[in-house]
Amino acid sequence: MEKIKDFFKTFLLVELLKGMALTGRYMFARKITVQFPEEKTPQSYRFRGLHAQRRYENGEERCIGCKLCEAVCPALAIKIEVAERADGTRRTTQYDIDLTKCIFCGFCEESCPVDAIVETRILEYHGEKRGDLYYTKPMLLAVGDKYEAQISKDRLADSKYR
Amino acid sequence: MINIEIDGKLVETAKGSTIMDAAHKADVYIPHFCYHKKLSIAANCRMCLVEVEKAPKPLPACATPAAEGMKVHTHSDMAVKAQKGIMEFLLINHPLDCPICDQGGECQLQDLAVGYGGGASRYNEEKRVIHPKEIGELISTHEMSRCIQCTRCVRFGQEIAGIMELGMANRSEHAEIMSFVNSSVDSELSGNMIDLCPVGALTSKPFRYKARSWELSRRKSVSSHDGLGSNLAVHVKDNKVVRVVPVENDAINECWISDKDRFSYEALNSAERLTRPMIKQGGNWIEVEWVAALEYVANGLRQITQSAGAENIAALATPHATFEELYLLQKLMRGIGSGNVDFRLRQSDFSADGKQSGTPWLGMPVSEINGCDRFLIAGSFLRKDHPLLAQRIRQAVKHGAQVSIVHSAADDLLMPVANQAIVTPAELVSTLAQVLKALASTKQVKLSDEIQALLVSLTVSDAAAKIAASLAGGKQVAVLLGNFAQQHPQAVQIASFAEQIAQLCGAKFGFLGEAANSVGGYLAEAVPFAGSVHGMNAAEVLENPRKAYLLLNVEPELDMHNPQLAMKAMKDADMVVCMSAFKHQGLEYADVMLPIAPFTETSGTFINTAGIAQSFKGAVKPLAEARPAWKVLRVLGNLLNVTGFDYDSSEAVRDEALKGITISDKLGNLTSGVKFEVVTSSPAALQRVTDVPIYFSDALVRRADSLQKTNDSAVPCVKLNNSELQKLGLQAGDAIKVTQGNASAQLTVQADEGVPAGAVRIAAGHPATALLGAMFGTITVERA
Repeated sequence: MEKIKDFFKTFLLVELLKGMALTGRYMFARKITVQFPEEKTPQSYRFRGLHAQRRYENGEERCIGCKLCEAVCPALAIKIEVAERADGTRRTTQYDIDLTKCIFCGFCEESCPVDAIVETRILEYHGEKRGDLYYTKPMLLAVGDKYEAQISKDRLADSKYR
Repeated sequence: MINIEIDGKLVETAKGSTIMDAAHKADVYIPHFCYHKKLSIAANCRMCLVEVEKAPKPLPACATPAAEGMKVHTHSDMAVKAQKGIMEFLLINHPLDCPICDQGGECQLQDLAVGYGGGASRYNEEKRVIHPKEIGELISTHEMSRCIQCTRCVRFGQEIAGIMELGMANRSEHAEIMSFVNSSVDSELSGNMIDLCPVGALTSKPFRYKARSWELSRRKSVSSHDGLGSNLAVHVKDNKVVRVVPVENDAINECWISDKDRFSYEALNSAERLTRPMIKQGGNWIEVEWVAALEYVANGLRQITQSAGAENIAALATPHATFEELYLLQKLMRGIGSGNVDFRLRQSDFSADGKQSGTPWLGMPVSEINGCDRFLIAGSFLRKDHPLLAQRIRQAVKHGAQVSIVHSAADDLLMPVANQAIVTPAELVSTLAQVLKALASTKQVKLSDEIQALLVSLTVSDAAAKIAASLAGGKQVAVLLGNFAQQHPQAVQIASFAEQIAQLCGAKFGFLGEAANSVGGYLAEAVPFAGSVHGMNAAEVLENPRKAYLLLNVEPELDMHNPQLAMKAMKDADMVVCMSAFKHQGLEYADVMLPIAPFTETSGTFINTAGIAQSFKGAVKPLAEARPAWKVLRVLGNLLNVTGFDYDSSEAVRDEALKGITISDKLGNLTSGVKFEVVTSSPAALQRVTDVPIYFSDALVRRADSLQKTNDSAVPCVKLNNSELQKLGLQAGDAIKVTQGNASAQLTVQADEGVPAGAVRIAAGHPATALLGAMFGTITVERA
C-alpha cells in the first residue's frame, strides 16, 4: 500500500503543493519582521545588555569593591583592584569588564550587594578594535551616569520580585 | 575514662573533660565562637548550647563536664532552636557589612549564620555603634562594632601573651573591647588576636582591604626568623605575598606565631628590594646580566686566589639563610681552598670550636618545655628574642614551674619570676659559679678539684643561693642559655658552668637558637673548624682583614658582633661580593651586588633549635631578576671549576648534605677540654649590655614597614639605672654622647632600673648605634 502511495507522489507533486500552500498562507499573514534601526522590539526591564556602574544620588559611586561579582563571573571577565580611599572607605582602584569575554549571564548584577554593577537595556554598542570592548571603571560609570533614569526605573519595576 | 553518647555515637572521654572535648573526639561539630582549645573556658557566646537528656534546659557544651552515661543531642529540635535563638541575638548588633569586611569569606559568624541565622532580621531598632580607637600599627579595631564579645582576645592576652592589653569595659549593650586609655597593644604575640577573632572586629592593619580570602593561594612555609622554625601559611595573590598566618604544629609553634613571623612579609614587597645584579665600575653602579656579574665574581675570586692565596677570601653568611645555601657556600669556599666560612655573626667567643660534643641545640624537644618545673635561664632577652618559647615557659609557670634568671637586664618577662640575679656582663660567669657552689653544697656533691679550687674563694650572693635552692627542688629542670649568653665574650665559660649546674640537678641543658638555622649552620658545616679545610671564624676574618669577602645576606654594620671592625674590613677589602635580597649599605663598599631570593621565593630547609629539619618550597616566584641563592652558588661553583656542583634542585643539595646523617646524633651541648675560669673583678668603667631589639634582628624585619612603626622599633636609647644617672649628673631625656673604641654616637638617655649598676644598655642592629663597636666591652657616657 505504502509503495503505491509513494509511486503516485513521485509525479503528482503533492509535497510541493503543500509547501507552496504554507508559503502562500504566510504571504498574506501579518508581518512580524522588525526593520531594526528604525523599528525596535519591546524590551523587558530585565534585559541584560551593556554593563553600567551606578552612583548614589549624592554622586558617590556605589561600588565598595567586595569582589563578589569577580568571584561569581563564570567567564572571568571582571578584574577588580581595591584600596582604602583617603576617607577610610573601601573603593575600587580598578574595575574592568572585558565584554568580549562576558556572556551576559547577569550573575554580577545578581551578586552585587549594593546594586552597583547593573546590566542595562543597551544592546547596540560596538567597538572597532578588540580593545574597545574592554570597559574600564570610568567608562562603566559614564554609562551609568547617562542612563541612570532608565536604570533606576527598571530596578524599581523589578523590585517587587526580589 | 567515662562513656557518653553524642548524637547516638558512643565516645570514651577523659574524666573532667567537657562535652565539647568529647564531641571533638566523636567528630561531631558543635557550633561555637568563644571556645578555643588553647584558651580558658568562658562560655559567654552561648552558641554551643546542646540538649542533654534529663537536663531541664540546653547546656553550653564548652563548659559542661561530661558525666558517665550522659546522652547529648547536638542537632535535636531543642538544641537547634536554642542555637538559632542565640544566633539571632548575636546578629542584632552585628553590622551587615560582610561585603567590605576583611574577615568576609573566612568568618565563623558568617559561616554559622548560613546554618543558624534567619533569612531576615526581626530587629528594627537602632544598632549599637562603637567608635574606632587606635591600638597600634598592627591591629585595626576600626570596625569594633562587629564584636560579638567572645573575649577570646582578652583571654589570649591574659593567658598566652601574659599581658592583658585588651579588656572588656562596661556592661550589656555598652560592653566593648578596648585597650587601656591611650595605650597601644605592644605584645610581641599580638597578631594572634587577629586569627582568634571569630568575626572581623580585630583585623590586620597591613592587610586591610588588600585581598579577599577566596583570592588567596595558601602555601606552606617555615619562618626564617627565630630558632623555633614556626610553621607558616603564606597567602599569595598575583605572585605577591599579602599575608602570613600560622599553620598548627603542636610540636613547634602550637597554633601561634609571633608578630615578627606574621608581619615581616611586608619587606618582601619593599621598594628596597634588589632586583638586578649590579657591578660597581669607576664608583658607579651599573646593572648587568647575571652571566656578566657571576663571571666578574668568579674572575675576581680567581685572581685573589692566585695572587694572595685562597685563605685571603672569607665568606660570611646569615644564620637566617637556608641550610642548602649554607652548605653550598661552605662547599664553594672549601672547593677553592679556603676554610674561612662562618655564620655565627654575633658570637665573640669561639674557644669551644672543635671541643663540642656536637651542634649546640635546645637540649630537648620544644614541647618538653611545658613539662619542666624549674628553669634557669641565663643571658637571654627571652621575651623579645624567643617570643613563642617564652610563651611555653609562661604556660609551664602557670602550672607551677619556677623561673630563675641570671642576666644583665631585668626586662619584664610577663610571667612571675621566682628568683633573679641581675648582674653586669662581667659578673655573669661568677654568678653562675656561685649558683653552682650553692647547688653543690645543697646537694652535698663534690665537684671536680679544678672547679672546687675556683669556687673556694667565692661568696655566694643571696640571689644565687635562692636560685640554687629553687633548682634543687625541681623534678624536671631545664637550664637554658639565651642569645646574650652565646654572644658574650666568655660564652664558653658561661656554658661550661651552666652545664655543671645542669649536671648537678639532672637538668636538660640547652641553647636557645638565635636564628632559623642556628643549628642548621653547624650541620651544613658552615663553620671554620669543620669539613676538609679549616680556617678563620667570623671574628678572626675581621681582626685579620681578608682581601675578599663573600657576604650571604649579611649587613655587616647591623648583623655583626663588632660592626665597627666589620665596616673597616669591608671598606679595606679588594673585593666584596654582596648576595642580598635588599639594597643596603653595601652599596658603599661592595663591588658586586647579587639579588637573591628571600625565604618565600626559594625552596630550602631550616633546622630549628630542637634539631627538626623542615623543608619548604618557594611560595612565589623570585622578584624580577632575583634568584635563589642556592642556584647562584651552584653556578658560581661551576664557574670556579669546583667539582660536585651539578645539582638540579635544592632537595638534591639537602640530600647530599644530610646523606648518612641522623640529625639527632649530631646534636650535643657538652664541651670538653675547657679550662674553667672565674673573673671576679669588674672593670671600673661602664660595661655595655647589648640587646638586638626584636624588629632590628634580621634583614627582613628591618624593612617591614608596620613593624618599624611599633614601639619596639623606636630609635635606641641609652639605658642606665638611676644611681648611675646621678653619678654622671644626667637626667632621663638628656642628649648624651657615648663613645666606644674610636667612634661615638649621639643618643638620648633613659632611666631603667632593670639595668644593673655599672652597666649601660644600648641596642644593636640599628644604624644609630651601628658604629659603636662590639656588643660587649666598656663604654663611656658623657653629656653631649
